[in-house]
Amino acid sequence: MVKISEKIDEELQAIFSGDIPWITIVWDDPVNLMTYVTYVLMELFGYSKEKAHELMMKVHTEGKAVVSTGSREEMEHDVARLHEYGLWATLQRGDQGI
Amino acid sequence: MTDNEHGFFRHGENAYLANFSEAEREVLTNLVEQIIELLAERVDHHNDDPLAAMVGITAHDTPPDDEVLLRLLPNAYADQVDASEFRRYTESTLRQKKQAHAMAMRMHVKSAIDGVVELDHDGANAWLGAMNDVRLALGVRLKVEENSHEDLELLAPDDPMRGVFAVYSWLGWLQESLISALMDDSK
Repeated sequence: MVKISEKIDEELQAIFSGDIPWITIVWDDPVNLMTYVTYVLMELFGYSKEKAHELMMKVHTEGKAVVSTGSREEMEHDVARLHEYGLWATLQRGDQGI
Repeated sequence: MTDNEHGFFRHGENAYLANFSEAEREVLTNLVEQIIELLAERVDHHNDDPLAAMVGITAHDTPPDDEVLLRLLPNAYADQVDASEFRRYTESTLRQKKQAHAMAMRMHVKSAIDGVVELDHDGANAWLGAMNDVRLALGVRLKVEENSHEDLELLAPDDPMRGVFAVYSWLGWLQESLISALMDDSK
């Protein structure tokens, strides 16, 4: 019988149980208005004006920000909605560097 | 295009109004019609499975060749395999949603009475999405990424991009006015 190392075993378990969160990242874009990005984050995620503004500023100054966390399916849904409103968004596993 | 001094303003609980001249309505209609056309499905009769197409699954999974379309329909994953798979299942729906925003905007412009467009919250969101798509498209053509606004403002009077930049700026201003009317709402 193949012996799976403990670390890999843990990782596989995490993948199958969905414990590893996925993240949605919004990237800076020279066209989108700052107020528009704030408004879209409020509308789509129900964030307060303060939280949405803070995330927008992070996108603006650092080039990107994680705007939501959850299962892969949830993040795919979030990215699709952000694309619908023209924000530049991608998703990836939360344990991968961005 | 300067006779509209206010852009959108809030009117009552759930109405956002703006007054447009005939020339402005023509410009808006023209722009959204171009977006609607641009977002029309890629036709690929040989490969598309009609049953799959009915539920929004298409055979094409490569990013669009056109720079503007690629900005409107971007990759969802940095990884190309994941990006292709996601595109295959979602691109068609995304095109339809963006077209729906543009079509709603065209309808509002066409049905304006005495030039006055009246939007509810959903209508306002459709306008924001559609205006943003137009600005993204114009932004690619103007190479906003490489050119600063200062550079674009210094375009020669006979440069055809000067007119494009004027429309781009006007739409940004109009979008901003609608956002501030909406944000005022959510205080």
